[in-house]
Amino acid sequence: MKDTEMPISRDSALGRLLGADKAPALPKDFADRVVAQTADRAAPLPQARSGNGGVRRWRSGRRLAAGAVIFGALASTAAATGLLDDLPIALPSPEKVWATITGQSDASEPVDPPIERTPAQNEPETIKPVKIEGPIDSPEELEEAFRRVDEVRTNRADTRRERIDRRLDNAIDRRREQGLPVPTPEQEQRLRDRIDRVRERREERVDQRLDERRDEMRERIENGEELSREDFIREQRDAVGRPGRRDRLERFRDMTPEQRRSRIRQIREQRQQGLRELIEEEDASQPPAVGEPDNASGSTEEGNEKI
Amino acid sequence: MTSDGEFYSDRQDDEAQLIARIAARDEHAFRSTIERHAERLHRIAYRMMGDAHEAEDIAQEAMLRLWDHAPRLDASAGARGIKLGGWLKRVAVNLTIDRLRLKKRTSDSEVPERADDAPLADDQIQSEEEGAAARALIADLPERQRAAIVLTYYEEMPNAEAAVVMDMNIKAFESLLHRARAALRKKFEDQGGAA
Repeated sequence: MKDTEMPISRDSALGRLLGADKAPALPKDFADRVVAQTADRAAPLPQARSGNGGVRRWRSGRRLAAGAVIFGALASTAAATGLLDDLPIALPSPEKVWATITGQSDASEPVDPPIERTPAQNEPETIKPVKIEGPIDSPEELEEAFRRVDEVRTNRADTRRERIDRRLDNAIDRRREQGLPVPTPEQEQRLRDRIDRVRERREERVDQRLDERRDEMRERIENGEELSREDFIREQRDAVGRPGRRDRLERFRDMTPEQRRSRIRQIREQRQQGLRELIEEEDASQPPAVGEPDNASGSTEEGNEKI
Repeated sequence: MTSDGEFYSDRQDDEAQLIARIAARDEHAFRSTIERHAERLHRIAYRMMGDAHEAEDIAQEAMLRLWDHAPRLDASAGARGIKLGGWLKRVAVNLTIDRLRLKKRTSDSEVPERADDAPLADDQIQSEEEGAAARALIADLPERQRAAIVLTYYEEMPNAEAAVVMDMNIKAFESLLHRARAALRKKFEDQGGAA
């Protein structure tokens, strides 16, 4: 060992110089301060998973996979080259193998007949939108088109009603899970009744508009005019009448992100308003101040209605 | 025995119990661990940093890390025979090295200015000057060499124990220590001293 690498003697000049630097003592209240800091300390993170086990598992898994691939390749090669035919090995056919497993003679025969899937009783039957193909020029054709459109409307109304019920159930469940007050059965029934009333009013308004429109169409047919698909689409009327869903969507797209967030927040609050009012207000018979509960039902679908 | 009269007598059973109690959030146990180990951590950090305030921060952070990691240490203490003193010193040394590296990137001044400029007696002035010279000498070393000198010279730790604290094998540590001593002597001689 060189002299320069020898331990430093405390009696040497260097040792004396190093020894001149005295370390200060910790403050008296150091322990108190550290203990006080533990109160603000976040809980420690859970222990990370050990990497070794994972690597080992991956390695053994990789070996198994590689082994399976190699075995498959060798077996395929042997079968493809006819090697198995040349060897005195009796290979059973797949049907025989299957029969030994299942105990049935014909492996190709399915064990159970396929189960036909029937729609559940409470599952709404979906009806495709009505397609108007070609011009309509007779009253019979027109009435048939109306009948088919009504069928679709009825189906959509049922779906919408179920969706509202489901949303209401979910909202109540969420409040219950969060420990928030939930409506009593009486309050819940009143809420459902109110939603029904709002829906009926809306449907009445729509029916009234449809009747007026249909009368116009009947009149046009009687006058010898032909009606096309466009006459049946609600959007055409929206283009000349009140702004429809598309306009609202366009306005929404033109908003800044902040405005959009604010609008979404507002819509959500409106959706919650009906339920919240019923729970918080003692007088459940008071009408809600902001928005209608029906806003929660996705009433904007109205814009897609066909005449 | 260290220069301050403390023994390195980390008794395994006591320490395992202490860790278990800290893991169970026993403040009394934590306080007694602070009283037992914090002074030494502060001293190590101070010798390496040359700044009492930063050394105090490091000692505090090391103790708080013990508080955070105690449940995990408790789980592995029995199986791996973790020595609390060694673990704390390792944390303190690593924290100090991190700070030194950060400081090197953000500042040119290695040795802090003296905080108190009030008139001092002659012998006190001389003592301060010698202390500052010693700190400057240590501060000229790379971080890990500083740690090696502080642990073995100031804290009088055996090479094997210092190697464990620095998470190195003994050969590598001794090589580092030799380089550190040689560098220290050379700098001292360059300043006009006779090692």
